[in-house]
Amino acid sequence: MEHILSLLVFFPAMAALLGFMVNKESIRAYAIGVSAIEFFLSIILWIGFDASNAGYQFVEYFALIPSYGMSYYLGVDGISLFLVILTTFTTMIALIALNIEKDIKNLILSVLFLEMAMVGVFVILDIIWFYAFWELSLVPMLYIIGAWGSTRRVYAAIKFFLYTFAGSILMLVGILYMAHLYYQATGVWSFALPDWYMMQIPFTTQLWLFGAFFLAFAVKVPMFPFHTWLPYAHGQAPTIGSIILAAVLLKMGSYGFVRFSLPLFPDASVYFLMPVAIVAIIMVIYAAMVAYAQEDMKQVIAYSSISHMGIVVLGTFAMNAEGITGSIFLMLSHGIVSGALFMLVGMIYDRRHTKLMKDFGGLASVMPGFATIYGIMLMASVGLPLTIGFVGEFLSLAGFYRISWVMTMLAGTGIILGAVYMLVLYKRSFFGAVVHEENKTLKDLNAKELTALIPLVALVVILGIYPKPVLSTIDMSVQKMLVLMEQKAVEQSTKDLIINANTVGGTK
Amino acid sequence: MEKYLYIALFAPLASSLFVALFAARPKMLFTGIVASLLIGVSMIASFILLIDVNNYGPLHVTMMDWISAGNLSIPFGFVVDEVSVIMMVTVTLVSTIVHIYSIGYMDHDKSFNRFFSYLSAFVFSMMILVMSDNFVGLFIGWEGVGLCSWLLIGFWYHKHSASWAANEAFIMNRIADLGMLMGLFLIYWQLGSFQYDVVFANVKHLDPAIITTIGIFLFIGAMGKSAQFPLHTWLADAMEGPTPVSALIHAATMVTAGVYLVIRCGELYTLIPHVGFAIASLGAFVALFAASMALVNNDLKRIIAYSTLSQLGYMFVAAGLGAYWIALFHLMTHAFFKSLLFLGAGNVMHAMHDELNIKKMGGLYGSMKATAILMSIASVALAGIYPFAGFFSKDKILEVAFNEGAYFLWFALFIGAGLTAFYSFRLVMLVFFGEKEYKKQGLHPHEAQNFVIYALVPLGLLAIVAGFFEHAFHGFVTKLLRNYEIHIDHGVEAILIAATLGIAISGIAFAIYMYKRGGFPKSLEERACYKILSNQYFIPYAYERFIMKPFTALSHFFWVSIDTKIIDATVDLIARVFYKSGEKARKMQSGNLSDMLRWMVMGIVVLLIFAILYRPTV
Repeated sequence: MEHILSLLVFFPAMAALLGFMVNKESIRAYAIGVSAIEFFLSIILWIGFDASNAGYQFVEYFALIPSYGMSYYLGVDGISLFLVILTTFTTMIALIALNIEKDIKNLILSVLFLEMAMVGVFVILDIIWFYAFWELSLVPMLYIIGAWGSTRRVYAAIKFFLYTFAGSILMLVGILYMAHLYYQATGVWSFALPDWYMMQIPFTTQLWLFGAFFLAFAVKVPMFPFHTWLPYAHGQAPTIGSIILAAVLLKMGSYGFVRFSLPLFPDASVYFLMPVAIVAIIMVIYAAMVAYAQEDMKQVIAYSSISHMGIVVLGTFAMNAEGITGSIFLMLSHGIVSGALFMLVGMIYDRRHTKLMKDFGGLASVMPGFATIYGIMLMASVGLPLTIGFVGEFLSLAGFYRISWVMTMLAGTGIILGAVYMLVLYKRSFFGAVVHEENKTLKDLNAKELTALIPLVALVVILGIYPKPVLSTIDMSVQKMLVLMEQKAVEQSTKDLIINANTVGGTK
Repeated sequence: MEKYLYIALFAPLASSLFVALFAARPKMLFTGIVASLLIGVSMIASFILLIDVNNYGPLHVTMMDWISAGNLSIPFGFVVDEVSVIMMVTVTLVSTIVHIYSIGYMDHDKSFNRFFSYLSAFVFSMMILVMSDNFVGLFIGWEGVGLCSWLLIGFWYHKHSASWAANEAFIMNRIADLGMLMGLFLIYWQLGSFQYDVVFANVKHLDPAIITTIGIFLFIGAMGKSAQFPLHTWLADAMEGPTPVSALIHAATMVTAGVYLVIRCGELYTLIPHVGFAIASLGAFVALFAASMALVNNDLKRIIAYSTLSQLGYMFVAAGLGAYWIALFHLMTHAFFKSLLFLGAGNVMHAMHDELNIKKMGGLYGSMKATAILMSIASVALAGIYPFAGFFSKDKILEVAFNEGAYFLWFALFIGAGLTAFYSFRLVMLVFFGEKEYKKQGLHPHEAQNFVIYALVPLGLLAIVAGFFEHAFHGFVTKLLRNYEIHIDHGVEAILIAATLGIAISGIAFAIYMYKRGGFPKSLEERACYKILSNQYFIPYAYERFIMKPFTALSHFFWVSIDTKIIDATVDLIARVFYKSGEKARKMQSGNLSDMLRWMVMGIVVLLIFAILYRPTV
């Protein structure tokens, strides 16, 4: 068990290298096998995970360049554990549903390399490595969109790459400066996150550093107004690219807020709380309205992702255990639900080669199975209780209520607007009469598609009814982080806000 | 007794899931029968619990944990006390009858199985709503019934109007749900719990301003489900759903959830009588407002829907003024006679081949005697004539308004009682008596199947006798609810009762008199006030014109003008600046030696200037 994290990170990459030797006919089975083993490994990780320990577990440490404090340092806690599982699970499901024939081998190898980068981002504790994985995740995605996308794929791929890459450059500067600060304070270099956590940073320095990290995360999430790469990327990407992009890559940004911004710069996070929250609310409302205006089913879901990520950001900046735990859970649930929705859109696209809602109508009578699963995912997306979508949304909003009730109400309009664009989408595509001749003969879901979808449906229901094992594990680490934030904050007002945000009662 | 609790709760779920297995198949009779049986089992369990609660007091179980994070902890907990057991009995009783009725009503529908799956799912959600021991549990049921309502209103989804109405209902309810959620968050951050017992035990220690805010937020939630003004338009449109759905969801159970919420939070609303009075005033307004729209409508189901709206207003008057047990009593009796009215209307619709315009019916008494009698009983009960059920409960509400000194509210309800009597009998007269208009369309109406009629008989009986349980009911529910006594002088009380009965009887008499003689002259329909009423005060039109249209336009503007033309164009512009400057700068690398030397000199000069001027401080 000591090396399970290394195994998790590098197994897909090793398998991808070996995969060059697998012939084209069996590569699909090979990839599903590899991703299943990887998923199985992550489940072993969960089983072995001590839910009563809030700190890092399965830690691996190996000093690489001691003179510069660079090391190979892995560890997982309640915050990252489920994001790892989400990554391995989504990759497996996406590979099962994959039905591209063109250059399938290259595509699959790209996906496996991508899996390495994604798992790496979530379990690495050394920041240089983190940065490397962070940027490395762009390359396979660039290739996936650029090579297997629709007509404007090259434009979309380059836009995606350059935009997110440019956003991260400042983060690199911030990382180097942090290390320098650590060197000034202690006399030794270190890029290890737990070391950085111990460091108190002066207030103004925090503000600058927060800004440097913020841009990288904000582009990734993506936050308004840095979001325009996303609709292009989703619009052009093949289904598997969209699934992974929505389910996992966006979560890297919101994970960054929880893992870096909050615990490293507590005072700055509190200082920037209101501006960030305002942007988050704009995201929720604005993206929901833009989603409503879309003609293309996939674009609706792309914009709805932005809207939901607004709630995630809001929950993260609630500065209390309810909100942050909720936002992490919402990351998971959004990963599953939006992944499933993109997969469903991909399935109808394969049949009709269009994603425009006006080309459908009445699908419920032609494809009842498809309509049912779509309906379940839709209800999870609008946050119906007893589906996975409710828990995170409820907790995030509940958490932020302690900070500001007016802003919570504004963000809460997301539950109304979400219902508006989703139900209108459903009505236009699934209800009504079948007006187009081509739609009358559409086939319902086949066995392969059901294999990919049923686990997602099961998760939506199971985690909606019994989210507690996941929530309590996340909550433990979140509470530990909040204690750390409170302790290391340099301003008294920050300490007061964090304590107040985590206390029930009083007049506010 | 826990066993019965779980049976009552989960039998409908079992029914729904079992039937769902056959949802995609063509009609199978046994799905309807199994569903009805399981709902019946749930009803029997509810009755056993009723007796048990009466003998041994409330029952409280915690099944398992649901959500916990930070200080927050929400279990799946259920409570069967005097209030919830009354709701359970009412819900399961009406549901069982509606299920049996639907076997006949949905007979020829190709989605017969799917219908029963949804209907049972609705019953399950409703049971969760009334049985939960905490606010979030209630919210599960609250959203669950909303979902089932969406599914069932839009059941015939090939019709544009049905799927539109379904979405309207869901979205309107969502607006109200946001208010409710805000109320829940406030409760949590003030009291640290969502459990009813904890909340109600501690709520009195809170700042009155906060209690008021909680009260308002929760009532906003109630306004959505109970379709109170201005969130009322969805209810009339919801009549697009199959008629059993209208009877169960949009008359007897779901729409009363808002009233249930106010009753359940009685201990909170008692502390804030001014909010209570506002609720009562809104209720009285809706009672009149909806009744006025029912006067002129010609759609069989819409008339009954407006009547439901109006009666919900009555319930809110009682609940707002603190007479919780009376509100609950009216809720129960109303469930019986209103579902009967709807189910009767369903028989009429079948006989008339889904014709809904009552002006095109008439004289149906000849061919459907049983339905005519049952609907007349329901109408008399609705009008509030002694000794029918509606008399007891509705009259009490008027007395409450009088007792509280809210004479204005009393007067509104008094007028409302007259209108109710009139429109109920306008409907009965136009449908069952007078000229046989249907002959012009060549229809041959026939009575519904026998078992359908038999299924309705219990409701008919309850509509007659339920009122006589008043004292037993009062004694039972006031063990939990605050008691409310009416202190009006006996003489005055007698005059009030006589007056109310008088206006109701005159309403009926007027309707019978007018429609015996062929109704009102056509010229009336040209009048402005008629137009306002028949267009529902132009409110749906205003929503469309002033909310939906601008929202759509703004969304489009955000997308086309802001997202594409400003934000994205800026991003592309930045990229293009780099690209173009690179393109331009490329010319420097011309390969011409003298050009290159010139650039080199320039570079050296720049570096020299830099070296001279820049002085690092270190």
